[in-house]
Amino acid sequence: MSDFESDARRARLQPLFESARSLLDPASERGRQARERLTASSGLSREGVDFALQRCLEVAPDEREIAALIATTPSARVAHVLLSANVFVAAHRAIAIGLAASADVRVRASRREPDMAELLLAGAPGSFQLVSELSPRAGDRLWAYGSDETMDEVATTLPAGVALHAHGSGFGVAVLEDAPSESELEALLFALAEDIALFDQRGCLSPRVLLLNSASLSASAVARALAHELEKLERRIPRGQLSTQELSQIIEYRDTAHFAGELHQAGSGFVSIAEQGHWLLPPSGRNLHILAAPDPIAALAPYRPLLTSCAFFGPSARREALRRALPGARVCRFGDMQRPPFDGPVDRRDI
Amino acid sequence: MNRNSRSDGLHDAVRRFAAGERARSFSELALEIADFQREFSAGFARLCSARSAPIATVDDIPGVPCDAFRLTRVAVHPPDEDALRFSTSGTTSGARGVHNMRVSETYYQLALAFGRAALLSSARAHHVVALAPQLDDPPTSSLGHMMALFMVDFEQRGPFDVRTSERWLMGEDGVDVRGLQMAAECSAKREETLLVLATSFALVGLLDSLAGRVLPLPADTVVMQTGGFKGKTRELEPAELRAAVARSLCLSETQIVSEYGMTELTSQLYEATVPGSALGRERSGVPGVYAEPPWLRVVPVDPTTLEPVADGEVGIARIIDLGNVDSAVAIQTQDRVRRVSGGIALLGRAPGATPRGCSLSIEEFLAGARR
Repeated sequence: MSDFESDARRARLQPLFESARSLLDPASERGRQARERLTASSGLSREGVDFALQRCLEVAPDEREIAALIATTPSARVAHVLLSANVFVAAHRAIAIGLAASADVRVRASRREPDMAELLLAGAPGSFQLVSELSPRAGDRLWAYGSDETMDEVATTLPAGVALHAHGSGFGVAVLEDAPSESELEALLFALAEDIALFDQRGCLSPRVLLLNSASLSASAVARALAHELEKLERRIPRGQLSTQELSQIIEYRDTAHFAGELHQAGSGFVSIAEQGHWLLPPSGRNLHILAAPDPIAALAPYRPLLTSCAFFGPSARREALRRALPGARVCRFGDMQRPPFDGPVDRRDI
Repeated sequence: MNRNSRSDGLHDAVRRFAAGERARSFSELALEIADFQREFSAGFARLCSARSAPIATVDDIPGVPCDAFRLTRVAVHPPDEDALRFSTSGTTSGARGVHNMRVSETYYQLALAFGRAALLSSARAHHVVALAPQLDDPPTSSLGHMMALFMVDFEQRGPFDVRTSERWLMGEDGVDVRGLQMAAECSAKREETLLVLATSFALVGLLDSLAGRVLPLPADTVVMQTGGFKGKTRELEPAELRAAVARSLCLSETQIVSEYGMTELTSQLYEATVPGSALGRERSGVPGVYAEPPWLRVVPVDPTTLEPVADGEVGIARIIDLGNVDSAVAIQTQDRVRRVSGGIALLGRAPGATPRGCSLSIEEFLAGARR
């Protein structure tokens, strides 16, 4: 890519970053408006919205990240972006990828949660278009985010010659190996609780399962400590409103986990352990299942296509092995699951 | 009294109840079984102790979620006492839900009693075939086992080997249409009533194989359809499938009867539509309404509180099955149901009320890694 092209792409991104930055201050008019609108549409508590904006909205990516984003995003005549619901900050990254690809970016926001895209556009007028329907043509590119079902629908209705970058359903896991000190463990679980609580666990990066491989830590002790951290965090950042279906799934999970092993109340959510070491995927809403796994890489292997993010604590050689084993997932530190580097899509599954 | 003596006593009482004796009521038996399971099943004891109030009525018995059968053993007895062991279909992790039964006689008696009532339309001998894959050995599918049981019992000619290709009319190449035609000819020649036991996806396969042609079956034929499509074929609405099957086989729609069963249950529900059947005479049901046997009760409950909903309102099905003496007397499903005149209307799984975005659903997780 020429310097000219690279500079042009960089220039297109700057107004978006500035627009996002102006949403951070809750005392500013845009910051106040963002919190009000996002609280109404996301179902998160006001504190949850503020926490997500402060922690996950990437407003100052470093130079290396921007360079990587520009270098790895293919150019397009027109970049179309289909946004998902539930994780409103994702609109920022998705639109940035569109702007890195093209000067002509057309965005269709989630009908249920259009606010973030509208807020970003209001702060960077003219940088992209918000449209009610996407009509890509041959030679265009479409970046689509959402459930696998939506991705399948998009793929089958797309005209020939349109390149699709589909980011479908997924989930995150955390892996704890080795023997952290008491204070390290406390810090890890505090950070994991934040990863869980962000967006009330509705995103594809949200951790749902913790794999534990440690001779010195019992799953029960970790479950109790994590439940305590989640409870403390909920006092600071209350859980938002859940739908009847979400609540029903939590009840089903609660009773399943209770029957099958150990269950710890964790504020409004739960932490579970299954006696026989089976996988259980808790529903969203701040719930986590703990699995004692002597070989976490082997335990994760069947789920590789679904994994987007993996927090890891343990020896660096094991971290590298995990990276190699999960090329589609972002391997990161505890507490960083919901803020991957701003160097491309949130996960690496299409690479 | 030790565990097995109590279990045997309860099995005996349930079989007597199913045979028409009413020394103890449904509620009394359900509560006795729940009490027994609380004593000998640690998981069920945990569910009971999580309740804020004691278990005083049938409605208080906590339902064991179906997923628990996949995660752990749901049984009061150890594995070496299993008489029957049925598995659900597999998941990514390889974990299958397993229903372990200690006493096979209860299963046989209950399945046969209600199967006869729902499916047998005449006193004549029946000729029974299955539009299903050949039974495995030992049988791991509760449906396959039940089909084999019906073949032997309904034909009224003593035990015989059911593992023949003339009985199981579905293979790797799809439905054996010629085999079905031969079964029809055979039953007509022997003046027997033809009973076709079929999975829904096999019926769709049959329709596809016929490609609009008709395959007339004897006029008194009964077709039992069961199960979902499990992604194996295109899906059809139940009413559409029923109409198409009836049309293709030259039968009336009332001769196509749906069964509702699951691996986690001992008993089954049926539509009471078959003309001349005992169940049809007793309840004269309509398509889409499933009749419960006297030893099973469906309680529609609120999905977020698990409290019973008012009569006629939609809830998710908690199923109290007295046949589940050694596993879980109450099963909590996610199937939406409504109590209506004559039984239970099945309304399918709860629809997604909230756009899910990119978060992986539990259904997707269970379906496994597909890419």
